[in-house]
Amino acid sequence: MRSLLQFAALVAASLAIAVTCALSGASYYYSSQHGQGCSSCHEMAVYGAGMHGSAHRNGTCLDCHEASLATKLRHIRVHLTRTWPETIRLRESDVFAMTPNCQKCHQQEYASWHAGPHAATYTQIFTNAGQNSRQHLMDDCLRCHGAHFNGAVRDLVQPQNEQGPWRLVRSDLANQPTIPCQACHQVHSHGTPQTRPAARISVGDEPIPDSLAFYDRREGEHFAVAALALPVLHEGARMVSVSPDPRSALCYQCHAPRPPDTGTPAALNGWGSQAGSGDDRTPTGVHEGLSCLSCHGGHNQNARASCKNCHPRMSNCGLDVEKMDTTYADAKSPHNIHWAHCEDCHQHGIPARENAPASPLHGALAGN
Amino acid sequence: MSSRGKTGTLTRRQLLSGAALGGVSLTIGCRLGRSSAWEFLSDEQARTLAALCDQVVPADDFPSASQAGVLDYIDRQLARVYRRHRAAYSDGLVRLDTLSRTRFGRGIAALSVDLQFQAVTAFAEQDKSFFELVRNHTLEGYYGSPRHGGNRDAVSWRMLGLAEPPIRGRAPYDLTKGSTS
Repeated sequence: MRSLLQFAALVAASLAIAVTCALSGASYYYSSQHGQGCSSCHEMAVYGAGMHGSAHRNGTCLDCHEASLATKLRHIRVHLTRTWPETIRLRESDVFAMTPNCQKCHQQEYASWHAGPHAATYTQIFTNAGQNSRQHLMDDCLRCHGAHFNGAVRDLVQPQNEQGPWRLVRSDLANQPTIPCQACHQVHSHGTPQTRPAARISVGDEPIPDSLAFYDRREGEHFAVAALALPVLHEGARMVSVSPDPRSALCYQCHAPRPPDTGTPAALNGWGSQAGSGDDRTPTGVHEGLSCLSCHGGHNQNARASCKNCHPRMSNCGLDVEKMDTTYADAKSPHNIHWAHCEDCHQHGIPARENAPASPLHGALAGN
Repeated sequence: MSSRGKTGTLTRRQLLSGAALGGVSLTIGCRLGRSSAWEFLSDEQARTLAALCDQVVPADDFPSASQAGVLDYIDRQLARVYRRHRAAYSDGLVRLDTLSRTRFGRGIAALSVDLQFQAVTAFAEQDKSFFELVRNHTLEGYYGSPRHGGNRDAVSWRMLGLAEPPIRGRAPYDLTKGSTS
């Protein structure tokens, strides 16, 4: 009996040592060599190769990805049973675990994002009484808010009506961001690490981050901004000049115009999508052609002090542009800064320019 | 205790050492397995298939089949829903390479684009059913949904003038307008 107990104890101790060695060894192995260990499982090779070609190539998998004991065991199980999916994607829990890791290196960007509207939580977005009483909750909400959520909107918030009160079915998501870093950034996208510019004062265009991409919930894939379309927009019958800035193509995925509503002049005349329809905020009028990023910060969308980027302190009229009657100065102003026209201020006629040819833009505007 | 068991069986030290060794072996065991980046294809098969697929959809202003991820698509499907085609691919790619070596002295992956075209043209006549199979799978991968591995960045849809993802405003279910949809 005693020898049997000794044998059982030995077997148990052996198993414990084997598991300890395997786990600690695996942790070391898979976290070393900048992720080459992870890539040695061939289902991960393509993702490892992507990381090694990205701006994050100097990091390791575990710098960003959560790797708890449970996660490691799940990976081992999936690998040994060969049950990995056709395309390996991050789960919502993986994304939420990664967000604080982004902060470790990108502290300024993280703080900026956290202070802005894109850091809105699931509670703020999906239990908003003002919104839910006006518009049905629908799966399409998840296209931009909670794109990584693995389920339908009914799995997230109840009741599905316009009376409420609304509560999150997934209470664990209450304080999680609906637009995390990965909504607009593809960490594995091809790119190079940032380096010190050759010239002390760069005169080139602002570089477009290699990682900028839209996470398309339907495909479960990121699409780089260079692959995203810019809209064709009209103001009445006139085609609007849309900024060619590819970064704004990312904004348009959510701040998108809608086809003309039935019965409107635009629908009756076949003019196409109108600037300012839906959630679109494409500038028309005096600011036409500007990119979203000309005024708004990329992470917190703040437009504070953006006027000074282009305007002198005083306008040609001797007015302080920041104090003119627009929504920049007062959100209740009837003159939305996005589509303020010359005639909004020059209500008795637009004065002709002195010693300068008439602007084609003015001509087009005058024709409307 | 001596290093040998009393009855010639495993000693405690041997058992513990073996367990530790087993753990380490388990850790590095994956390294000894196949190192190909593909799930089903070998690297050599992938090179041959890439040459074939790129003759079906060559590069112009837009990427070729292999550049657009068609090989990823075919490889992933051969590991899943197209398991039934595995033998056809294994045998067919050997036949293609054999034809290339017989006629041009090298495997098709090593030929110039013009010679690859000649080799594939001859192969399409000689081995019509396999060529048709690969052609269909190539077109599936090139024009299908990116979620299946091909059509990288929806490149073929952009080639066709389709915006992907489309720019679409949120669905206009505005209750204040009396809509009940």
